Amino acid sequence: MKILVAVKQVAALDEDFEIRADGKDVEPDFLVRDLNEWDDFSLEEAMKIKESASTPVEVVAVCIGPDDADEALRKCLAKGADRAIRVWDDAIEGSDSIAIARLIAAVATREAPDMLFAGVQSSDHTFASTGIATASLLDWPHAAVVTSLTYTPGANTAVFRRELEGGVLHEMQIECPAVLTIQLGINTPRYASLRAIKQAAAKPIEVLTLEDLGVAPMHVGESGSLSRVRRMYIPEKGRAQMIEGSVEEKAARLAQIIKERAGGAA
Amino acid sequence: MIQTDSITRVLFEDFRPSAIRLFYVIGFAAIAVFCWGVYVQVRKYRRGAATNAGGSVLSRFTEMVGTVLSHRTVARRDPKAGAAHRLIFYGFVLLFIGTATITLDYDILGPLFGVHFWHGEFYLWFSLVLDIAGVMLVGGLIYMMVRRGWMRLPKLDYARPDRQPTDPDYDRSGYRREDWAFLWTLILIAFTGYVLEAVRLVWLADRADVWGVRWWSPAGAAMAEAMRAGGMSNAAGGIVRQNLWWFHGLLALLFIALIPFTKVKHIFTAAGSLMFRDPLAAQRLPRVPAEQKQAGAQYITDFTWKQLLNLDACTKCGRCHEACPARAVGAPLSPRDVILSLREFANKTLESGTLPPAAELDVHGKGPGQVAMETLWSCRTCMACVEICPVAVEHVPIIVQMRRKLVEEGEMDPQLKKTLQTIHKNGNSFGESRRKRAAWTKALPFKVKDARKEPVDVLWFVGDYASFDPRNQKVTQAFATLLQDAGVDFGILYEGESNAGNDVRRVGEEGLYEVLAESNIETLAALSFKSIVTTDPHSYNTIRNEYPEFGGTYEIQHYTTLLLKLMQDGKVPVPRQLGRRVTFHDPCHLGRFNKGYEAPREILRLLGCELVEMGRCRANSFCCGAGGGRIWMPDPVGADKPAHNRMREAAVIPGLEVYVVSCPKDLTMFEDALKTTGNEGKFVVKELIELVREALPQSQVETAVKMSPTA
Repeated sequence: MKILVAVKQVAALDEDFEIRADGKDVEPDFLVRDLNEWDDFSLEEAMKIKESASTPVEVVAVCIGPDDADEALRKCLAKGADRAIRVWDDAIEGSDSIAIARLIAAVATREAPDMLFAGVQSSDHTFASTGIATASLLDWPHAAVVTSLTYTPGANTAVFRRELEGGVLHEMQIECPAVLTIQLGINTPRYASLRAIKQAAAKPIEVLTLEDLGVAPMHVGESGSLSRVRRMYIPEKGRAQMIEGSVEEKAARLAQIIKERAGGAA
Repeated sequence: MIQTDSITRVLFEDFRPSAIRLFYVIGFAAIAVFCWGVYVQVRKYRRGAATNAGGSVLSRFTEMVGTVLSHRTVARRDPKAGAAHRLIFYGFVLLFIGTATITLDYDILGPLFGVHFWHGEFYLWFSLVLDIAGVMLVGGLIYMMVRRGWMRLPKLDYARPDRQPTDPDYDRSGYRREDWAFLWTLILIAFTGYVLEAVRLVWLADRADVWGVRWWSPAGAAMAEAMRAGGMSNAAGGIVRQNLWWFHGLLALLFIALIPFTKVKHIFTAAGSLMFRDPLAAQRLPRVPAEQKQAGAQYITDFTWKQLLNLDACTKCGRCHEACPARAVGAPLSPRDVILSLREFANKTLESGTLPPAAELDVHGKGPGQVAMETLWSCRTCMACVEICPVAVEHVPIIVQMRRKLVEEGEMDPQLKKTLQTIHKNGNSFGESRRKRAAWTKALPFKVKDARKEPVDVLWFVGDYASFDPRNQKVTQAFATLLQDAGVDFGILYEGESNAGNDVRRVGEEGLYEVLAESNIETLAALSFKSIVTTDPHSYNTIRNEYPEFGGTYEIQHYTTLLLKLMQDGKVPVPRQLGRRVTFHDPCHLGRFNKGYEAPREILRLLGCELVEMGRCRANSFCCGAGGGRIWMPDPVGADKPAHNRMREAAVIPGLEVYVVSCPKDLTMFEDALKTTGNEGKFVVKELIELVREALPQSQVETAVKMSPTA
């Protein structure tokens, strides 16, 4: 019995950040990296199932990313994941969420888990599509925004609830194996003490290449993606302006602005 | 006076040989029970973890003897109880030596070597000394009875803040019965001793070598005179003596046999506890050995033998209970009850022949003898308990070691969890970017040196609150200006500084503490500076006392001593006399932890302030409530807070103008408490630095900048 948990090392912006010279991303120096908040919850959900199960359950965390993503995986190991897998190859740089999903699906095929959990979305890119795309590539049933889950390891089905608009809940049953994207608040993620994180440093992280997964380089990175970042920029702000002068002058200027705008719309 | 060697005390006169034999059998049985009890207790302590107390045994022993003989710690903050205990102690010790002397003469030297010395003049002096010792003992015991029975002292009230009356281990009447049994047994032994002496005198009134020297036992003689005046015959005296002798003797032997099983054992455990005291118990918390798999204490056997001895040393005097800020505001914590709970737990689990399975040794929880997480998280690690304990019980490391286990399990307040993660990620508790650590310097008209780039004399370790809290930034800027004006060559670490870790360690997040301490030590190792200064007593404590164990030994001072030196050396101009009526709050980590009581007071004197001390000051200062990571945990809504309690204490000082603090967290806590206790407008809370700035002429740097046309 195995649960695969897809996690991501996300980037948060530091104060006074700068955009990279190529204008497509933030300068890496200004990013603070951490495990994606949603993934904290999906890992916890897997750990809860593992800890309440009467049969052995293996929790495997998988992350697509360069070496510094090991930090996210170590946190998962510190919280009790049994194994961690990191997939990387320079060709993966520039992948969109679908290309990433292709890699996760390849790992899922290799690991053959009974369940695959992913966060609803990542806090940095917010596509909210990786998990669902993985399900599609695997041709597994899937459900998004899961807020509670009842699942006995080894069972053929799982029952869960999802959030809908207007506070309505959907209670559903799904065939396993399935992909569930987990919503914040489904549980209370445990604290990974620094001691546990340090001890996790001694645990191995399995690093897989494209070759190991049998994925051709052309299917990842920009060449394997159907969407690309054109540019990243900070939108102009501060369109309000103070009108200076006497009451008459202010009124005249205001009237002029209204005419300009109204004229433009007409 | 009859000077003859025949003067001595009769021991077994008129006893049948079988009675004497019976007495010896009972005596040896009592000693055997005593020895068995000692064995069980020692076996209990040996089930604790190993620890190296350090230092030479001889110096530890002499210091302990000094403390015991002077009763220094027993008399603190309760001189009357101290005096009474001193009477009991010296009375008991003299009587014990007296009894041992008889044994030496009668049972050892006599039978073995035929040597006898317990007679004649020596006996008479012996008799006098012991009579006085008995009076001392009885006097001390009577005071203690009055104290327990009639004074209704809150610290002797065993009501538990950490239990509900319905809990199985709420009831402490067993302890109360034991207290009284102890007092009554001792006083009965002493009193029957006098009566015995008196009836013996009456019985042997015809013998000149007895009756003639009766006034060498003044108390017994006076009683004998009274008995004879009341009509007691010699023969009646003899009969009473025969019976009372057995009562007195058996009671005394019972007392000896029960020592290891009752509170009487504090005679030994308190001495042992004092001998192995750690003078930096709260200031320098124990490291977790690298090879240790578990962090912190989960099982009773995870405590060291010294801590297990601590548990038994407690005499329930209640001084920690009285001093504890958490207890004072109704939080579910009394340091005394933590110790007593664990003691009950240790007695239950570790006194049997075999060690119970691990599951029964877990000290965490709500069961009898266990300690609840709410109790552990209520602690401010302010050290008030450790500081006042007369028998060197070290509560703070015990509590922190239990917290380490809670942290490992994630059993903590969500806000605390978040703060710890934030500190790990950003290196500060404010969740601000590292780059913003020195943002406060931007408002200054001069550039603060970057100690990472150039050598400085004084490295200023700023700390989180002084760096990021907007109110404290004003103080930080004022201190920078003071240093600049005084011509001190100083610099800061800018974004190279991380939270010093003092409070992280006291929360029990030892792993994160190690990361922070190692990171700061690594940063400091590469730099050139002569000494460190900080305005933050928390950073001061950990850098001073705990960094050395991680390889960082520095000369560090709190700003109060540096500032005082600058003022005394004339580097800071003579201040204007403020003439304010002020009171001073000793920060735990500056005062109690590091004995920095004088410098801030001396500065206040130089400022011409009239210092009115609060009742609780210096070593007995009352925590603001922020220590031990409590500043990162919300206080229960509607409950009283230590800072409120303190504000009420200050508010009764007539005409108080300024409540002076010298710690960033104090400023935050007390400014808030000033408002919430409705004292706003009556007096103000100020950092000492602000008072100094106020008393000085315009800053030279600031003036220079204002006059310069380019600025």
